[in-house]
Amino acid sequence: MNHIPDTVNLSRMHPVGEPDKPILRLEAIRKKFGEHVVLDDVNISLKSGEVVAIIGPSGSGKSTLLRCVNMLGPATSGRVVIGDLVIDEAVPPTAQQLTQLRRSVGMVFQSFNLFPHMSVLRNVSLPQERVLGRSRKDANKRSLELLARVGLEDKADQYPARCSGGQQQRIAIARALALEPQIMLFDEPTSALDPELGLEVLAVMQELARSGMTMLVVTHEMNFAETVSDRVIIMADGKIIEEGASREVIRNPTSDRAKRFLKAVKDR
Amino acid sequence: MIHGVALGIPWTLAVTAAAFLIGAALGLPLCAMRMSKLPPLRFIGLAYIILFRSIPPLLLVFFFFFGLGSGFLPISAFQGAVLGLGLITAANMAEIYRGALSAIHFGQWDASEALALPSYSTYIDIIAPQLIRVSLPSAASYAVGLLKESAIASTIGVTDISFNANYIAKSTYQGLTVFGIAALFYIMISLPIAALARFADQKLRARVAL
Repeated sequence: MNHIPDTVNLSRMHPVGEPDKPILRLEAIRKKFGEHVVLDDVNISLKSGEVVAIIGPSGSGKSTLLRCVNMLGPATSGRVVIGDLVIDEAVPPTAQQLTQLRRSVGMVFQSFNLFPHMSVLRNVSLPQERVLGRSRKDANKRSLELLARVGLEDKADQYPARCSGGQQQRIAIARALALEPQIMLFDEPTSALDPELGLEVLAVMQELARSGMTMLVVTHEMNFAETVSDRVIIMADGKIIEEGASREVIRNPTSDRAKRFLKAVKDR
Repeated sequence: MIHGVALGIPWTLAVTAAAFLIGAALGLPLCAMRMSKLPPLRFIGLAYIILFRSIPPLLLVFFFFFGLGSGFLPISAFQGAVLGLGLITAANMAEIYRGALSAIHFGQWDASEALALPSYSTYIDIIAPQLIRVSLPSAASYAVGLLKESAIASTIGVTDISFNANYIAKSTYQGLTVFGIAALFYIMISLPIAALARFADQKLRARVAL
């Protein structure tokens, strides 16, 4: 795990709202594909600085839920509330609402989705210039700081294809952070990586969590869910079947479905 | 004799380049229409593409030069040839772009959206450069085809390679030699286009793949 800074800055790098007021609320999210119900009345509330892991079997709607949060794939009904911003999933949002929403919420994908025709530095700088209106110089300065934070400033001039999967994912994290989001969504960020490369991404996520970032993480990494996240939510068949303090949920699930899932994960 | 045929090279190049540029430019909005969410736009795009891919280029060039050109819209032989070939090229380029677009990973759109990039930036900064790279090989092979098709211009009096070859062959009775020389010229132009496209493709590919 080269390049990961081992001194962890514990000072809060991210804006913190009122401590007990939720920063993100998902209310009664429902989504149907035709007759098939993918999300069935999902409610989640995140406090500022909270890290919540969503686990559960494939097809349980975890990723679909995440895509509802930033309207990449709007739900059939329900609401997303971030501070003053209230998005009704059933109604197409205004361009201004959508921009506000997506500037508040950063997203990291399973398949990284770096722009292959741009250098690493350009990947991180371009959105800052186009979305925040930063000058090229200011954007590059910020990009290099963030690349240093994920341990990759020496890759700035490379193209993404020259970087390992783990490095690409860390660059994608830097790119999302560059827009100064209040909340970060992670959609199975390590599922496309071999175990060692996954570890370096998890280290960056852990550092991010400690720095006070609010994070909603869809993952199959049970150790991360148990030790880094504050809470764990288990989903199955489009519903939340269990949620609570991470260790409690993972060690002592109550429902049969959750027990079955966790047994399958642990016995592997 | 060689010199006489060679005099046609600039015209062959001009017809090919002009028609290709018109087609490459016009192909973009046409592709956008073809893939539009709005049914009327989609229909117009599709209708254009089907229509212009079904008409023989010779016929379309005749239509513009002898049809429109005789009274309705006075155009030169060069303009008629470029217009006819350019409009057909647009239909074909639109299809090349459409194929290239489907080769771009949907994650590129996801990432652009999630980063709140304005749509102009998504198209210009993210999609267009990848689109050009992916369409380059097909576009280059189309350009080589177009170079040969440009000989149609000779039939309406553009003094290109084929026109000059035909003229000299008839006046010298040395058709074998003259048309052989003309063929050689076409080959000499085709090869660099293909080589250049391969070179550019490899250059761009080296960046995006290991």
